Amino acid sequence: MELFHDYLDQGIIKLSKKVTEPTTLQDPCNVVRSGGLAAKNRHVAEMLSEDFRPMDNQGNYNYCCGGGGGAIPMGGEMRKQRMKCGKIKAEQIRATGAKIVLVPCHNCIDQIRDLNKEYDLGIKAVHFKEIIAHNMIVPEHMIPKEEDEEEKA
Amino acid sequence: MEPSTRSKAIMEFLKPRVGARVKSWLEICTKCGQCADTCHFYLAADRDPKMIPAAKVKYLSEIIRRKGEVDDEFIQKAYDCIYHECNMCRRCTQFCPFGINIADMIALTRALLFSQGVCPEALRSAIKNYHETGNQMGVSEEDWLDTLTWCEEEMESEIVGLKIPVDKVGAEIMYTINAREAKFYPQDIQEVAKIMHVAGASWTVPSKRGWDDTNLSMFVGDLKTSRTLVENTFARATELGAKKVAITE
Repeated sequence: MELFHDYLDQGIIKLSKKVTEPTTLQDPCNVVRSGGLAAKNRHVAEMLSEDFRPMDNQGNYNYCCGGGGGAIPMGGEMRKQRMKCGKIKAEQIRATGAKIVLVPCHNCIDQIRDLNKEYDLGIKAVHFKEIIAHNMIVPEHMIPKEEDEEEKA
Repeated sequence: MEPSTRSKAIMEFLKPRVGARVKSWLEICTKCGQCADTCHFYLAADRDPKMIPAAKVKYLSEIIRRKGEVDDEFIQKAYDCIYHECNMCRRCTQFCPFGINIADMIALTRALLFSQGVCPEALRSAIKNYHETGNQMGVSEEDWLDTLTWCEEEMESEIVGLKIPVDKVGAEIMYTINAREAKFYPQDIQEVAKIMHVAGASWTVPSKRGWDDTNLSMFVGDLKTSRTLVENTFARATELGAKKVAITE
C-alpha cells in the first residue's frame, strides 16, 4: 500500500479516472494501528475517489472489522461470533452512505464481504490494487495493437 | 499437594514471560471501565460486562494466582474468551489511561494455551502447512511457479511485454503475497504485475519459501514458527539482493 501510495503521489502511476460512486475506507489493524500507515492509507483512498466519505473514528482509532487476530482463517468455528461483533463495522459503513469500501487487507475484505451479506449493506468491498489496475493510464506502447496484428496475419 | 505436570509446565512457560511489566499491569488496573466502549465485541453484545477487555485478562491473572493449577474446564473457558471474544485489534490498549497493554496479555494467554497444545484447529493445520511447504495454504513450489506462469501468460494479452520476474537477482523490490491469492485470488497477483509493469518497477517474486507474507502462527503465539517465516522472507531477499520487500496490500 505504501508503494502504491508513492506511485500515485509521485505521478509514477497516473489515473484516467477516479471512482465516482461514494467510497469509504477500512483501516486494517495491522496496517494502520500497528503498521503506522494511517495517513498514507487515507491519502490513497482520497486520490482514488471523487466522493470519499471517511467513517467515524477513521485512522488509528478505527474499529476492527471483526475478522482480525486469526478470526477469518479460523473458519466455521468463529463464523457466528464474527458476524455478531462485526455489527459495529457494518453500522459504521452504513452511516457513511458509501457504495464502495476500499479495503487494503485480505482478512478485512473477506470479513466486510461477509458483513455485506449478513447486514445487507449494498456495498462492494475492493482492494486498492483492483481500482488502481483498472483506472490507471496504460502507456500507448503497452496496449496491444490488435488491428496491426490482424494486418500482418 | 504436589503440583501437577500441567501446572509445572504452565509455570515454566510463564516464568520468563511474566516479569515486572506484566505483573504491574495486572496490579495497577483499577477496573475503571475506560476500555469497555473501545471494544466492538462489548458494543455488539449489548454491553455485556464479560466482554470488557479488562475482564478478558482475568484468565491470565487467575492462572498466575493459582500457580498454574487449572483444570480442563478452565482452559476451555479461557480459550472461548481469548479466541471467540477478541480479535487482538489493540484498540482497548490505545485507550487505557494507565497504558496497560491488554492486547499483549491476551496474546500471552494464547501463547500459553498453545504451549499446552491448545489452539484453533484451522490455525493448527495452517501451521502444519507452513512447516511442510513454507506457506499457509500448502501450495507446492511447482504449483506456485505454475500459477505465476499462467498469470503472466494471461496478462501478456492485455499489456505488451508484461513479465512476472521470478528470482531475478538485483531487483529493487521483492514482492510477496498472501498465499490465499495463489489459491483463490490469482487476479490480485495479475493486478499487481500490471501496476509494477506500468510503473516500470524493478521487481521480482521468489520461487522458494518466503513468498507467503502471512504469519498466522503469530495469532496463536507460536513465535518459533513466526520467526522462521520472517527469516525465510529475509533470506530470499538477501539471496536476491533486493533492497525492499513489498507485501500484498
